[in-house]
Amino acid sequence: MGMNIIYIILGTLAFAICAPVLGCLLAGVDRKISARMQGRVGPVLLQPYYDVRKLLGKENASVNATEGVYVTCALVFTLLAGGIFVSGGNLLMSVFVVALSALFFIMAAYSTRSPYAEIGAARETLQVMAYEPMVLFMAVGVYMALGSFNVATLTWAAAPIITDTWAIFVGFLFVLTIKLRKSPFDLSYSHHAHQELVKGITTEMSGSTLAKVEVMHWCENILFLGWVAMFFVWSNPLSWVLAIAVALAVYFLEIWIDNNFARVKWQLLLKSAWIVAIVLGGVNIAVLAYW
Amino acid sequence: MAIIGFLILFPLVSAAALLCIRHNLARRVVVCVSAAAIVAASIALVAAYFGYAAAFEFSSVAIDYVCTGLSVVITACIVYYGIRYRNVWAVMLALVQFVAVIVLEYLFAHDIHEKIGIYLDPLTLVMALIIGIVGSGICVYALGYMDDFQAQHSGQKDRRPVFFALMFLFLSAMFCVVFSNNLLWLFTAWEVTTVCSFLLIGYTKTEEAMKNAFRQIIMNLLGGLAFVAALFFIVVNCKTLSFAVFLQMGVSRPDLVVLPVTCLAFAGLTKAAQMPFHTWLLGAMVAPTPTSALLHSSTMVKAGVFLLIKLAPIFYCSASSASILAAIPSLMVILVGGVTFAFCSALAISQSNAKRVLAYSTVANLGLITACAGVGTPEAVWAAIFLVLFHAVAKSLLFLCVGTAEHHIGSRDIEDMDLLFERMPRLARFMMLGIMCMFIAPFGMLIAKWATLVSFVDTHQVALIILLAFGSAATFMFWAKWLGKLAGVAGLPPNQEEGTHRSEWVSIGLMAMLALGCCVTLPLISSYVVEPYLHYLFGGIALRGEAFTAGISSSNLWIASLAAAIIFIVLFAGLGTTKARKVDVYLAGVSVDNSGRTFRDSLSAERTATARNWYMEGVFGEEMIAPIGTICSALVIIIAFAVSAISLPGLI
Repeated sequence: MGMNIIYIILGTLAFAICAPVLGCLLAGVDRKISARMQGRVGPVLLQPYYDVRKLLGKENASVNATEGVYVTCALVFTLLAGGIFVSGGNLLMSVFVVALSALFFIMAAYSTRSPYAEIGAARETLQVMAYEPMVLFMAVGVYMALGSFNVATLTWAAAPIITDTWAIFVGFLFVLTIKLRKSPFDLSYSHHAHQELVKGITTEMSGSTLAKVEVMHWCENILFLGWVAMFFVWSNPLSWVLAIAVALAVYFLEIWIDNNFARVKWQLLLKSAWIVAIVLGGVNIAVLAYW
Repeated sequence: MAIIGFLILFPLVSAAALLCIRHNLARRVVVCVSAAAIVAASIALVAAYFGYAAAFEFSSVAIDYVCTGLSVVITACIVYYGIRYRNVWAVMLALVQFVAVIVLEYLFAHDIHEKIGIYLDPLTLVMALIIGIVGSGICVYALGYMDDFQAQHSGQKDRRPVFFALMFLFLSAMFCVVFSNNLLWLFTAWEVTTVCSFLLIGYTKTEEAMKNAFRQIIMNLLGGLAFVAALFFIVVNCKTLSFAVFLQMGVSRPDLVVLPVTCLAFAGLTKAAQMPFHTWLLGAMVAPTPTSALLHSSTMVKAGVFLLIKLAPIFYCSASSASILAAIPSLMVILVGGVTFAFCSALAISQSNAKRVLAYSTVANLGLITACAGVGTPEAVWAAIFLVLFHAVAKSLLFLCVGTAEHHIGSRDIEDMDLLFERMPRLARFMMLGIMCMFIAPFGMLIAKWATLVSFVDTHQVALIILLAFGSAATFMFWAKWLGKLAGVAGLPPNQEEGTHRSEWVSIGLMAMLALGCCVTLPLISSYVVEPYLHYLFGGIALRGEAFTAGISSSNLWIASLAAAIIFIVLFAGLGTTKARKVDVYLAGVSVDNSGRTFRDSLSAERTATARNWYMEGVFGEEMIAPIGTICSALVIIIAFAVSAISLPGLI
């Protein structure tokens, strides 16, 4: 038992160091590719890093004393969720801790009482509600295919779990767009300029608080891509290459979707995410349970 | 044994005393002393019988006569109110039930003498702690609350003696429910809780209160009738009045007890306010808040799920029985519980009345407990017990907070709780703790839900997995937006916490400590209380002599426990001052007043921005989805009864 907790602590430290670096690079690539898709040159690869460094140097000003604490909690729990995942820990626990981090982020926005931030927070809550069933089905599907929630079990699996859970995988890709806050599902806040809510959930966040949000976002992206890669890992060491390639391809697909679809209304977001969850997730789980 | 007697009889003595006392200070003393005595006795009971399961040879003809006497009193009470308020159904059901009970006791069960009247096991100990500590805490809270209540309703007659007497009578009846092995005693106590809650719901005697009280009594009398029907079957076919013996028979031959188990499960479902009977619990919120807290957390509905959890081993064995019919009660309980969880969680989204949100959340969580009991595997029962425990402490905390907030801000609407974080800083933090305990990792309820999910997956309950996933998503929505409302901070509005009674703070603090204590010590409770119980319960059937392992590994439980402690510290110590320069929020103009959200727009006119939470009535409104859930679960129950009637030997 003690060892298990030590692994999680080590995993969290490793994740806290590596994920921001990888996530920052990923964000840079994202901006580069998006620019190319829009016929622009785009900023340099390290632009996201320069942005965050500048934010960290800004004056310490905020609308209240609590917002920053909540955001820090959100960041810490994102790192913990990543740590649980990369140390081969319990996938469901990782999912729950991500939800906790999302809750703190939502509370940070609500605490400002800015109408724009509040609407952004309400939409973020809706988004969590929209993707949560599918994310739970994803974890359940992994458990049923693998016989354990422990991610470490993957490394001695005889075959990648994608063979049993491809419908769940497709469903998960659908809600991944919400989790990555990509258009058409970027209701709560968007990296694009065309946002009707000022800056949505982050409206009142500035300086180092906003920098933390950015870093959190990078880490989340890495964690979610880790969940994608997980479907393609089995006992063969070479499978890691395949898994990383798939994760990158999925991210490219998300960038393409981001640049080609207009934002939808919340009704469509909720309805489509839940229908996808019940059809792809429900059917896949039924198949795993009864056949 | 003496402690059990004390726990059942002492609240009765207190109730009798409180009924006579009209002086406020004397009542205060009696309530506080009695509550302390009950808390001490329930802790002493746990200390004395920690980890044991014991049965006590205790039978007395006198008690049987007392039970008959109580039946007469109960019936007389319902008939009196039924005639006075012209409610034919209540009168008819009460009379039918009375005749049935008398016939059962004197014609059928007359020769059966059950020697083992009282028993206890770790589950009853957990229940005793919940009833003893949470229940008495609520009684103490009621002291201050009812003072305010009486002051606000000064035109009405002071009926507080009756109120407090009923509260303690309720506790006594609940202790009787969890300790009785004699089914007739159990049934009598069961009916006493029904009548107590009837009287408490109708306390204000307004038209609405009486209407809701009668709805409660009619639904629970239906459950009571089903209970009597089960007793007839058990007496005639099993020739026993012992709950333990009946459970054993059920475990060895679940196909022979399909009808009585269906009837008992139905009684449990009505008492646990499962769809389609959830409306009685929603109606119960017209009562003063301590009543709601008592009904929702430690008594009444918990009696319903307690009965269902007791039946869990039969549900477990029925799944592997040769007869398909044997699984009927289990399927009924699973489906009704699952549907109730998903629908009531979704319904809570559309509510802005805090007590109504709490009521829907209670019904939903009871649904989850019900579904776990129906699944019946050791892992599911582990989850069910923890759901009962955490729900009791967190929900009572929330009700007490809402009650106090209501008296200070004059509203129980969540929209009016805007800025509560500053207006009532201590209370808002307690409320936030309660809300977090209800729905988010790493707090207890979510850990229990996690175990629930694992048990559903292990037993391949696909329908339940789906209902659980969507219900949990809805749960996140309605709690998170309430939490957000509480978290708002702007300027320094006047503190409205002044004048909160000390008794209220004591009880709220007690509940908060209990909630946090249970979250942090969850791994210990699991390994020292719940796991031995499951071993005792399932050792011979599901576990086949092997040790029980929970669906969640102990290292994960410890991580959750640690994280809960950290969040608690952040909530109560970390949210303070900052060195940052304070700036105004963005309001599409120059801010004038941040807490009022007023700003000067581009034409120099003062404007006020407003923001409300999101209730999505068009998707989750009561008239949109409540009928679906009601019809689905009603159909399930009707079909289950029809099919289990077929199983009656000799019918076909």
